[in-house]
Amino acid sequence: MIAVRARLDGVVRRFGSVEALAGASLEVRAGEVHALLGENGAGKSTLLSILGGMLRPDAGTIEVGGRQVALASPRVAWALGIGLVHQHFTLVPPLTVLENLALGRRLQPARLGRTLTRLRAEAERLVQRTGLDVRLDARVEQLAVGERQRVEILKVLLRDPSVLVLDEPTASLAPAEVASLFELLRGLAAEGRAIVLVAHKIDEVLAVADRVTILRAGRTTFSDVRSKVDAASLVRAMVGESVTDVAAAVGVVVVASGSARAAAVGVGVGASVTVDDAARRRPGGLVATLADVRMHASVGRPALEGVTLEVRRGEIVGIAGVQGNGQRELARVLSGRSLPDSGSVQLPAGVGFIPQDRTLEGLIGDFDLAENVALALHADPRFTGPAALRWDAVRAEAERVRTRFSIVASGTKAPAYALSGGNRQRLVIGRELLVASDLLVAEDPTRGLDVAATAFVHDQLRRATETSEGPGVVLISGDLDEVLALSDRLLVVSRGRLTPVPENARTREGVGALMLGDSSAAA
Amino acid sequence: MSEAELELFLQASVRLGAPLALAALGEAVTERAGVINIGLEGAIIAGALGGALGALAFESGGAGVLAGALAGGIVALVFAAFAVGLGTDQIITGTAVTLGGLGLTGAVYQARFGATGTALTLPTLAPVRLPLLADIPLIGDALFAQAPTTYLAYALAPALWYFFFRTEWGLELRAVGEQPDAAAAAGVRVRRVRLLATLLGGTLAGVAGAHLALAHAGTFAENMSAGRGFIAIAVVALGRWNPPWVLLAALFFGAASALQYLLQALGLDLPYQLFLAIPYLLTLAALAGWLGRARAPAALATPWPPPR
Repeated sequence: MIAVRARLDGVVRRFGSVEALAGASLEVRAGEVHALLGENGAGKSTLLSILGGMLRPDAGTIEVGGRQVALASPRVAWALGIGLVHQHFTLVPPLTVLENLALGRRLQPARLGRTLTRLRAEAERLVQRTGLDVRLDARVEQLAVGERQRVEILKVLLRDPSVLVLDEPTASLAPAEVASLFELLRGLAAEGRAIVLVAHKIDEVLAVADRVTILRAGRTTFSDVRSKVDAASLVRAMVGESVTDVAAAVGVVVVASGSARAAAVGVGVGASVTVDDAARRRPGGLVATLADVRMHASVGRPALEGVTLEVRRGEIVGIAGVQGNGQRELARVLSGRSLPDSGSVQLPAGVGFIPQDRTLEGLIGDFDLAENVALALHADPRFTGPAALRWDAVRAEAERVRTRFSIVASGTKAPAYALSGGNRQRLVIGRELLVASDLLVAEDPTRGLDVAATAFVHDQLRRATETSEGPGVVLISGDLDEVLALSDRLLVVSRGRLTPVPENARTREGVGALMLGDSSAAA
Repeated sequence: MSEAELELFLQASVRLGAPLALAALGEAVTERAGVINIGLEGAIIAGALGGALGALAFESGGAGVLAGALAGGIVALVFAAFAVGLGTDQIITGTAVTLGGLGLTGAVYQARFGATGTALTLPTLAPVRLPLLADIPLIGDALFAQAPTTYLAYALAPALWYFFFRTEWGLELRAVGEQPDAAAAAGVRVRRVRLLATLLGGTLAGVAGAHLALAHAGTFAENMSAGRGFIAIAVVALGRWNPPWVLLAALFFGAASALQYLLQALGLDLPYQLFLAIPYLLTLAALAGWLGRARAPAALATPWPPPR
């Protein structure tokens, strides 16, 4: 009998009138990698916050090491041996890695120097043992995303947790980095730790997990060992209904990437679209040109250097890259939001922009649907009167967006913050397609979306480029499967430079190697 | 300019700079924790009145300083109850606290002493000459024949520097001001740190107020803080949130105000207000990053936990 490290049972947590958890259970054992899966809003993050002591449950029991406990604060959770690696980085950027490791430790409170010396020795030993390569004296703000991730894990491991919880750790890693992370997790499990891994990619889960638990709408709907599950059964447990029925009803989009993710079946709205790699569309006229663009970054080397790019109507230009390699700046230059330091930029009039962070940049939470739509339309003469916006017209347009993109909301007066993640992205895309008559720039448009919402976004991008009269689409994404499946042309951005992907390198491995390229050599 | 005039100028610089230094050093601690206390002015005026009342009640300048510190601390507690406890907007809350502090101290003063117009005479905080140091030519008297509260400011600058950069508590304080989510995830009690930092800032502002009443003026007058709370906030920025530099910046602001005496002594017919503007121009230059990399704590004025 393997020791149960932690058991959550019948956990309920409400936020106002919303029940984020409605009886969730989770049982993690020593020595296992336990994957926690679920659609967005299923309650994964809430469950983790409860396990980490950041939130208290309204009902339910928690046992750690066989004893019932109240995880009243992060401190209590630490003391019980639960270490949480957050999805969003919890590092202090201006501090060094070592200082971040010392934060909250209180080893010798009055003597930071001694604490740092002691932690340096411990950290170096741990780095040796785990192969987590980090520079202890670098300031966190100087580190790339992958390295920050390693610091996060190191920070938690230094406290020697018996239960290690990781919230979507692979979201911003390149394939090779994901592989080495999984190898590390296997090793840590072999030491007798319990590993809880929240993931959204089913192939990753199948690759590393010993046991899988699935949350749906705040309840645990499934929990079993890896050997008894396959991709199809996981999708079924996550989405709820039998996928084949749903598929027959509304049409199915299968992401034809040839990887295990192909099994991730998404539900598209409207007519079915089949992807045929062979049927390459013929692009239309030139709509946007960048020539030898250079752009500074806030710190360090230039964010973009010598970037030249042409975009034609009716084509999807995919740009793959690991976060922090200049894609933010590229997206902003292409969408006309920033001017480069040098080089020439020619952009058309009708440019739509889907920014990476729909909550911070794409929408204003306190504005309602119509007001958010108005943000893009305020310069359009059809919607502007002599002095004020023509709100009746804007509202009618917003209503069209709402129905056409099946946005679940009480009406156009619903505030954006009340929408779920998937519906927010539908609103952003619907709005930007209104203005993107010539060019649409999409920056990680499916980040954090569930399977159905992702399929919807992909479907919309394909439809926009169906004819050579449609806009050109630039898809900037860290999701390799996404760019491989959607792009007519594929480039990689690495350290601020664009490299076209040759036809024979259009594979996960080929593009992954280009993405890491020289950035691994520089580390 | 004679040596005597220069000495007088330096003396006035330190005398005018000391209360700024006390308030700014305290505010530096508060701001490092991510809280900007615009209510500092209210804490200073409360400290001045508290200092006056305490000194009268116990017939001692020292007791007055303690009473002033307490009064400043109470004002900061009111601010913190809203801004830290309830997460209200720090700027608006601080403004309310300043206006309330100015009004309330005026009312208490009039109720206690009447509006007769005769100046109140207080037991003063006598200057203490530090042996040897005060004998240094030119700067000795200016720096080392001052009220004890001035020496508190001198001592605080290195002590706070050590606290910020050489203790784990300081690390936690800075983390709370930069990235409170990260600090909380590491087990730091964010609101408690912010409360304590705000209370320390208010207490020192109270001492600054008591210094004004007891070491500077020898009396209390309504509105005698005269904007020093706001100046102290500028001093913190010019000193780049680093205590030794904050002390120097405070003395520099003091010197700019002391110029008026020097100009009068020299018989120059220049409007001294022009010189008063110099430190503010420098503060703007510092904020713009023209005097080297200077960055306010990233979470300054951001409530935690974030609303909704």
